[in-house]
Amino acid sequence: MNPVLELRAVDHAYPDGSPGLRDCSLALGRGRRHALLGANGAGKTTVLQHLNGLLRPGGGALRLDGRPFDYGRAGLAALRRRVGLVFQNPDRQLFSAQVEEDVSFGPLNLGLDAATVRARVAAALDAVGLREQAGRAVHHLSFGQKKRVCIAGVLAMEPDVLLLDEPMAGLDAPMQLELAALLDRLVARGVTVVLSTHDVDFAYRWADDIHVMAAGRCIASGPAPQLAARADVLGAAGQRPPQVLQLHAALVARGVLPDGAAPRSIDGLLDLLNHSLETTHER
Amino acid sequence: MAVLIETAAYASRWRSVAPAAKALFALAGMGAAWIAHGHAMLALLALVQVLAALLGARVPPRTYLAVALAPLGFLGLSCLTMLVGPDMQGAWRWNGALLPGVARTALRSLAVLAALLGLVLSTPLPDLLALLRRLRVPELLLDLMVLCYRMLFVLRQAWDEGVSAQAARLGYGGWRQAWRSTGLLAGQMAVQVWQRASALQMAADARGYQGTLRFLAAIHPQAARQTALAALAGALLLALALGDRL
Repeated sequence: MNPVLELRAVDHAYPDGSPGLRDCSLALGRGRRHALLGANGAGKTTVLQHLNGLLRPGGGALRLDGRPFDYGRAGLAALRRRVGLVFQNPDRQLFSAQVEEDVSFGPLNLGLDAATVRARVAAALDAVGLREQAGRAVHHLSFGQKKRVCIAGVLAMEPDVLLLDEPMAGLDAPMQLELAALLDRLVARGVTVVLSTHDVDFAYRWADDIHVMAAGRCIASGPAPQLAARADVLGAAGQRPPQVLQLHAALVARGVLPDGAAPRSIDGLLDLLNHSLETTHER
Repeated sequence: MAVLIETAAYASRWRSVAPAAKALFALAGMGAAWIAHGHAMLALLALVQVLAALLGARVPPRTYLAVALAPLGFLGLSCLTMLVGPDMQGAWRWNGALLPGVARTALRSLAVLAALLGLVLSTPLPDLLALLRRLRVPELLLDLMVLCYRMLFVLRQAWDEGVSAQAARLGYGGWRQAWRSTGLLAGQMAVQVWQRASALQMAADARGYQGTLRFLAAIHPQAARQTALAALAGALLLALALGDRL
C-alpha cells in the first residue's frame, strides 16, 4: 500500500548552519500508529515540521500519496488541510484568548461556514473532554488542559494525518492514558497518527510502527515488535530495549514463562504471568 | 492591573450577559454624563453606575477601588492643577471661583469612568474583541489586540518563572544582584519575545493561516432580551440627564 506521507533522503540545515536532518528517509503507512523514537536533538521535531510543510527540505523530497509534494501556496494549503501538527509547548501554539475561539481558528481557515465550524469545535472539545471549558480564558487553564486544547484545535480540522510532538511530555499518568485512548479512537476512524517520543517503553506499547532517529537520520523503521527486539539499533539511538521485553526474556530464561511472543506492556506481562501460574497450579 | 481587571471580569455575575447589552448601557451612561449639567445629577449618574457594577455585576468593592484608584489619582491631580495655579504676576494662588466648574468636570469624569469600569469589570476582553469584530473594527487592529492580549499573559508567566528561577539562585540577595538579575532577565525576555513570535507564526501556518486571524464568536442566547433591557436602562439614564439639562 502507498504510504500517505514519505520523506526521501531529506537534508535540512538550520539557519545557523548546523545540520537538522541528514539523508533522512521514512514512510508512513496509512491508518497506523507511528512513533518517532529518539533522544533529544535527534531531529524528531524537524521531521514533523517537514511532514506539515513548515520546513522545506534542502535536499531530498517530501511525497504525499506517493507523488512529489508541490510547495506552492495551494499545495501547502492542501497539505495542512490533511496533515495536522500539535506542537510540544502549548503556549507556543495557542494564541487566542478563549478556548473555543482558538479551536475555531483552523476550521475557519479551511473556509467552512460558521455552523459547520461550531459543530466541529464542539465535537473536538468533546473528544478531548473540554466541552465545559469552551468559554474559559486559555491562560486560566492548566498545562494538561492547554495541551488538550491544542489537540482539539487540530482535530477540529479533521486531518487524515495527525502529528504530535512529544504529546505525553508534562502529562500525568491518567491524562496519558486518556490521550492514548483518544489516539486509538482516531486510528480506529482511519486517521494516521504520528507522535515523537523519547520513551521506548511507551513507543513499544503504543505504536504499530517505530521509526528510530539518531543525529538527524532515520536509522531504522519497522513494526514495533521486530524493531524493539533490535538492541543494536536502539543502542545506536541512545535507547535501551523496552523493560517489558527485558523482563519477559528474564522470566523465560528462568523457566517461569514459556517461550513465545512478548507482551507489549507490563500489564500484559502480568496477565501472562498470572495465567501461567494458574495453569501450573491447576496441574 | 490587567490581571485584576481580567479576574474580576471572569468572576462577574454579568459575565455571560451579551457584551452588546453591557456596551449599550455603558455608552448610554457616558452619553448621559455628557448631557447632564447639574452637580447632583452628575453625582447621581456616577452613583447609579457604581452601584450597578457593585450590586448588579457583583464586582468586589476592593477590586473596584483598586482599579479605580489610578484614574482617580489622575483626576484628583488634574482638578488640583485647575484650582491651584500661578496668577498673572506669577504668584501661586487658589482659584476658588473655578470650583463649581471643576466640580462639574470632576463629577462628569467620575460618571464616565464608572460607565467604563462597569463594562470592563464585567466583560472579559475576548468578549469585547468579539463585539468590536461585529462592529467592523479593522481586522488588523483586532489581530494586534488579540496577540497583545495573549502575549501579555504568556510573557508575564515567562517573567514570573524567570524571577523565581533567579531568586532560587540568590539573584535578588541585595540591590546590586537585583539590578543585575532584572537586567539579565529583561535581555532574555527580548529573545523570548522574538522566539515566541516566530513560534506563533509557525503554529498559525500549521493550521492553515491565510493572513487573517479568524475566530468563532460566542453565542449569547438571551442577547435580544438583555439588549432590550440595557436599552431601557440606558434610555432612563439619558432621560434623567436630558431632564436635568432642560
